[in-house]
Amino acid sequence: MQAKEKIMLHQFTLLVIIFTIGSSILITPAGLARIAKQDAWMVVILATGISMLFISLYNSLGRRFPGMTLTEINEQILGKWLGKIVSLLFISYFFILASALTLEIGDFMTTQIMPETPIQAVQIIFISIVVMGVRYGLGTFSRAAEIFFPWILFFILFLTFSLLPQVNYVRIEPVFENGIKPILQATVPMLGLPFLELVVFLMIIPAIQQTKKVGKAFYAGTIIGGFILLVITLLTVYVLGSSLTSTQMYPSYVLAKKVNIGGFLQRVEAIMAGIWFLTIYFKITICFYASSLGLAQTFKLNDYRPLIFPLGMLLIALTQIISPNIVYFNYILRYVWTPYSLTYGLFFPLLLLVVAVIRKQKVKG
Amino acid sequence: MKKWVLFFCMLTIVLLLLSGCWNRRELNELAIAMAYGFDKEGDQYLVTTQVVVPSEVASKTTGGNLIPVVVYQAKGATLFEAIRKMTLLSPRKIYASHLRMLVIGEELAKEGISEALDFISRDHENRTDFFVTVARNQKAEDILKVTTILEKIPANQMYQALQTSADAWAPSAHITLDQLIADLISKGKEAVLTGIEKEGPLKVGESKDNVQKIDPPTRLTYTTLAVFKGDRLVGWLTENESKAYNYIHNDVKSTVGHLPCTNGGKVTVEVIRSKSKLKGKVINGIPQIEIDVRTEDSVGEANCEIDLTKTETIEHLEKTAEKGLKDMITKTVAEAQKYKVDIFGFGEEINRSNPDYWKKVKDHWDQEFEKLEVKVNVDVNILRVGTTKYPIMKLIKE
Repeated sequence: MQAKEKIMLHQFTLLVIIFTIGSSILITPAGLARIAKQDAWMVVILATGISMLFISLYNSLGRRFPGMTLTEINEQILGKWLGKIVSLLFISYFFILASALTLEIGDFMTTQIMPETPIQAVQIIFISIVVMGVRYGLGTFSRAAEIFFPWILFFILFLTFSLLPQVNYVRIEPVFENGIKPILQATVPMLGLPFLELVVFLMIIPAIQQTKKVGKAFYAGTIIGGFILLVITLLTVYVLGSSLTSTQMYPSYVLAKKVNIGGFLQRVEAIMAGIWFLTIYFKITICFYASSLGLAQTFKLNDYRPLIFPLGMLLIALTQIISPNIVYFNYILRYVWTPYSLTYGLFFPLLLLVVAVIRKQKVKG
Repeated sequence: MKKWVLFFCMLTIVLLLLSGCWNRRELNELAIAMAYGFDKEGDQYLVTTQVVVPSEVASKTTGGNLIPVVVYQAKGATLFEAIRKMTLLSPRKIYASHLRMLVIGEELAKEGISEALDFISRDHENRTDFFVTVARNQKAEDILKVTTILEKIPANQMYQALQTSADAWAPSAHITLDQLIADLISKGKEAVLTGIEKEGPLKVGESKDNVQKIDPPTRLTYTTLAVFKGDRLVGWLTENESKAYNYIHNDVKSTVGHLPCTNGGKVTVEVIRSKSKLKGKVINGIPQIEIDVRTEDSVGEANCEIDLTKTETIEHLEKTAEKGLKDMITKTVAEAQKYKVDIFGFGEEINRSNPDYWKKVKDHWDQEFEKLEVKVNVDVNILRVGTTKYPIMKLIKE
């Protein structure tokens, strides 16, 4: 029935990388620098390291039930009704994540670039393209990711190299100023955003052609994504310093504003914002695809496409009411998002795995 | 039929989307601000803006008769309010993304600049790459009202002059907004800003007559560095102290200094390269700072009876220069210690080398700074003597 489309392994890796970079590239450095100061880069390494455990959890679930999406696994393990309830919960998580990301890109645009434009205009245009992408299907937007990934990489490399002259290495000293504690404290929110959100890929794994190497590709994608986040975090601390980074709403945008080569290559920040449009676009698309597909599978529909338009409209509506203002939203990201993500990214998958092991359920691929 | 309806629907949507940016602001709707001046009058802020008159800058045929900038002023309880109030005077809304200079009046600087900086860093239009200066003994508004000739836009003149003097003369420092804020936030470093002064009467300075004279009676000139404690201006460095600050801070690109000869007269030495390093350590609970300065120089002017063909002369000059520079730096540090203002970032250095000790002293660092032991090592290397061998003076006497 669903998920007839197949994607290639390397496309999957690219999707994981882009998803990991996602919105984190824009906002994470500030949160990390606020708690861990100049040790922020260690937090990225630590969080990426810990996330390997989650990935192995997702992988073992995927390996146990090859060819099945998360919603199908739910029903297989927990039975029809309980499985459907858990699936709906997962779908709500993906949907709220998509909505939060839409809010983020809207807030960014209206804070930094176009303050007088109604935020809805930005969101509606953005979501129309997401809806279009999901309607064309997984195969299409995976190929789009293939086309756009070199650009994302190019912009990040460009940013890195053009800021090298302004790098001040002493800014990351002293190392371990306040000991290990703040580093651990800062790791917690970083796990929630983006690493625990990677559970969404359990909806996509069954669509991969080369089933055997999925595990490795998942690890590799996460590590590369984490590495790019590490580079950006190091850059913000090296160039802006930890105190300035922590006071900024969007530190990497300020970073892009600093680019100035010989007085003529400057003011490139709007082009740099292109990175975030691309990465956030794919992140929303993946979440939105997962929620549409999941919903269709839960209700045993033949095709998920009819759901896309109504869900897209719902997404825009949800984005309007999900947070009254940006301060509230940042509060949620800081204190609530990780426990919330833990429920879906760790607790439920672990529960599913444990139940499957106890009931000795396994599907032969 | 259905196809056609769909087609027209698509066209309409495309029409909506292609009509351009939502809040586009065309060039002829912008008042491009080149410089802001902030003053305080009573409890009100007085904001002065220097705005470009595009027709006077752009076209070579019609323009050229008027001053290429215009100044708008407004008062308000807060800065943002004052800037918005300018729409009462200006036909166009102020656009600040191309700002080059921010001048802060001395009075406001003495009261504290943090309020002014919050607005300027929060508003999305402002970038962080403009220079911040303090109007010495004056109000910022006077600075912005002086016409200039070589760079027709005074803000550009100020920007270029500061950059050039910081690169070639050293007692001034070009501090951008983000640097200033980082210094203000840091507990281990106090901020400095370069001072700017208007010389001559304002009446002449603000008119076109000023720049039609070969020797403009009113001009702008940079002075030495202003020292801040917290966000308040507390004093001014002298020229030598400002130079020493830049040496310690590794900001000297090139400068010139003179040395006395043994038998009267002076030798002028040009610093071509300078590199300094701070090293902090804490020994038995006593913080110590070691400053290493290494310069590469060449002799630029020799007006005394010395023999520049002998290596001993060069060695002697190097020693004199080392002693002079060391004295200058030591004196400046001592002066800063007297006022308990750590403008050099010694605290940050101590923090980097010994975070545990820093945690104990950071809240009363100014007291510790006063007692800080500072060791200065200077290494001057005179590599070249210019294009001539013997001092002209010596040849004439012979």
